[in-house]
Amino acid sequence: MAQAVIFPKLGQTMEEGAIVKWLAKEGDTVKKGDILFEIETDKANLEVENFFEGVLLKIYIREGITVPVDTVVGYIGAKGEKVPDAPPPPEKSAAQPAAQPIATPTPAVAAPQPLTVAPAATTSTPPLPRPAAAPSKPAKLIISPRARALAKESCIDPAPVKGSGPGGRIVEKDLRAYMESSGYDHLRITPAAKRLAAANQINILTVRGSGDGGRIMTEDIERAIKRKPVAMSRMRQVIANRLVESKQNIPHFYVSVKADITELMSYRLLLKERGTSYSVNDFILEAVILSLEEFPVVNSTTDGKSVSWRGDVDLGMAVSVANGLLVPVIRAAQTLTMAELKAQTKALALKARDGKLTPDEMVGSSFTVSNMGMLGVDQFSAIINPGEAGILAVASAQEVPAIVNNEIKIRTIMAMTLSVDHRIVDGAVAAQFINAIKAKLEELELWKSLT
Amino acid sequence: MYDYDVIVIGAGPGGYPAAIRSAQLGKKTAIIEKEAFGGTCLNWGCIPTKTLIASAERYQQALHADEFGVSAAKVTFDYSLMIKRKDEIVKKLSGGIQMLLKSNGVEMINGSARFEGPDRISVVQADGTFRWLRGASIIIAAGSEAAMPGFLPKHKLVMDSRAFLDLKELPKNLLVLGGGVIGCEFACMAAALECKVTIVEMLDDILVVLDRDVRRVLRKKMEELGIQILTGAPLTEIKVANGKVTGMYKEQELCGDALLISIGRTPNTAALELGRAGVKTEKNGTIPVNQQCRTNVASIFAVGDLITGSIQLAHAATQQGVVAAEAIAGMKSSVEKLCPSCIFTMPEVGLAGLSEAQAKEQGRAVRSAKFSFAALGKAMAAGATDGFVKWIADPQSGQLLGAQAVGSHATELIAEAALAIRNELTIAEIGNTIHSHPTMAEAWMEAAHAYHGQCIHILKR
Repeated sequence: MAQAVIFPKLGQTMEEGAIVKWLAKEGDTVKKGDILFEIETDKANLEVENFFEGVLLKIYIREGITVPVDTVVGYIGAKGEKVPDAPPPPEKSAAQPAAQPIATPTPAVAAPQPLTVAPAATTSTPPLPRPAAAPSKPAKLIISPRARALAKESCIDPAPVKGSGPGGRIVEKDLRAYMESSGYDHLRITPAAKRLAAANQINILTVRGSGDGGRIMTEDIERAIKRKPVAMSRMRQVIANRLVESKQNIPHFYVSVKADITELMSYRLLLKERGTSYSVNDFILEAVILSLEEFPVVNSTTDGKSVSWRGDVDLGMAVSVANGLLVPVIRAAQTLTMAELKAQTKALALKARDGKLTPDEMVGSSFTVSNMGMLGVDQFSAIINPGEAGILAVASAQEVPAIVNNEIKIRTIMAMTLSVDHRIVDGAVAAQFINAIKAKLEELELWKSLT
Repeated sequence: MYDYDVIVIGAGPGGYPAAIRSAQLGKKTAIIEKEAFGGTCLNWGCIPTKTLIASAERYQQALHADEFGVSAAKVTFDYSLMIKRKDEIVKKLSGGIQMLLKSNGVEMINGSARFEGPDRISVVQADGTFRWLRGASIIIAAGSEAAMPGFLPKHKLVMDSRAFLDLKELPKNLLVLGGGVIGCEFACMAAALECKVTIVEMLDDILVVLDRDVRRVLRKKMEELGIQILTGAPLTEIKVANGKVTGMYKEQELCGDALLISIGRTPNTAALELGRAGVKTEKNGTIPVNQQCRTNVASIFAVGDLITGSIQLAHAATQQGVVAAEAIAGMKSSVEKLCPSCIFTMPEVGLAGLSEAQAKEQGRAVRSAKFSFAALGKAMAAGATDGFVKWIADPQSGQLLGAQAVGSHATELIAEAALAIRNELTIAEIGNTIHSHPTMAEAWMEAAHAYHGQCIHILKR
């Protein structure tokens, strides 16, 4: 009997996702353990293994369509076995309230329409706009067929034309007058560029020509094609929504310090010579963890009515990846030794860069560190992740002249800016907290005891 | 404060047009040349080779004149007279360039230049004296020379193309290392003058820039000319002994009276001391430039063979030289993207734009159409039925992306293709353009008809 292939739930908070690539096609023989498809969730791309032996009989969910978890995306079975033309609706699990509107495709439609699901009210992820929303069609234009054909052939958009026909209907005469007044007859365009514009519905009146004497070349049309809106990836959309949510709801307050890490850098080199290499980031994370233990209010969260202490330090670590940013979480970081912290940090960063983080590894942080030390910045301010009370923005360490014991010396100085939710963290507390971090970074004895 | 508005280093096909254009734009201009005005192109490249190839072709025509009903009793040639003719033509052209420079008010300086700073140049002049120059802008057009890697024996029988052109006598038996443009052109010229030629090319075929179908025609004709073409392995153990050059190709020992090295060219940048001016170079010595031929130093420009990614053709250098001069004068000129190439083999090859293989590598949809000279009246009349022309087009828009031609006059024919591609004509427009009859150029129109399956002169299958 044919086995249903289910869109997997790969994280506790995962509710939906899209198949970005099928690695097998209908009719292919597939083995247990083969990678069947790749999925894209809000946070990562993941490969999904096959659990059955047989032939991939049917694919219901095409690439790029967002579906709820547990959706039947296809069937695997014996060659020639009959399977339904449309997928059965996903089984309702306890996690999904019965009232949740799930639009299931009507069985008569062979190619399934995109399924939609509203996110559950409890999720921390804000509602997502649908990707690939086609630019909304303008109000219907009243235009004669001849005028419409002329506009199409001339590669112009007839929308701005004033119609002189009954009810403002645009007729050929109007279009010709518009073309004359808009300088259309003076436009110069290469034959190939014009054909390309026609094929891609580019209004050539809006294209600037780069050829000899302002002539429009294919390159210019290609640029115009690229200007058409493109749907953002799901990851990008999540980032966008979370940033807007944060900036709109959380009153940010910023405070900056400069830490002198000259001694720490020398100590780090010494450790390296002894065979243990820590990154500067490891020390920063540890200093933050220790300080969060001292200032529980910074390790808290608020909804505007109540404030709750998070208990554990679940430290988020911003990692920039190819086309976005991921924040893997180091759980209960206060329980880890420096060596354990270093090992976890490294493992998570590598997983993030290889796209191997699971969604569960990226939720539930209580405070975040964003380190741009490698990117040559003097100072920057970060936006708080919703659900947290603060984020520390770490800039590049720089060698600068500094006054030490009334003398000018070359010191390694690193600027840090703390962003806090001003609803629960007062300015003075923020100042004390960031100075606690700074003091730890500058206190060599501490590191000697920890490493 | 400055001695000149513009100083040009090198008077080859990149440098002298740059100097003339600068002078035309009202700039006080000097040009420094260490050897001969006209550079490699005119003295040891394009022009001398084409002169000798013309002699070789004339000899071949005389040999085979009986096909045309003409009998020539005893056809012979004297290579030294061919060289003399070449030298005269070169001398005339080089003199012409000096007159052009002079008439435009460009100061000519004979000597070797090197940078002393971003706007300072020192010149060791031909008479041994020193001269210091300061220029507000500098155009580097110092060209390239044949690459002669260290593993080659240092001997006069192992020579680059420049030394070959000075031979007073043609070797009886010539080995050519490198089946690129220069190697193939020299091989054809020598073979047409009864020299036994062997080309050794490490890659799988000669002239790999060309589409396979073009190569097939060319290789067959070159082999008919008596050239042995060995590919897919290097020439190793190169030795010179007893007036012979020997080397190993796979298991086979090759022996010749001379070995021509044509495995690429290296930029003449080392002696310029570019570091003193702060001009960046790549590992291979080439200078990266932008669309206006500007280097990383805003007042210094570079054109021709020594820029990074150069296609090393005289006409490309000329256009770049003009662009650099115009950029210095504040104009918004930029380097042309399309540059046709010509290969003066027997038969000739012309190409412009993308090859079919390149277009496919870019992931574009491509459609091509060919027309063979065998079906063309003029080609039959002229006894030149080998080869074809080919259009490469975008199937959606019909835009011409590239063209290749192989056969008699292919290097002239490619000009039409270059004009059409640059101005983004579609293949239908080529088909609609009346081409004079009977001409070789009709093949372009016929190929356009073939693209649409509307050929008048091809049998319906």
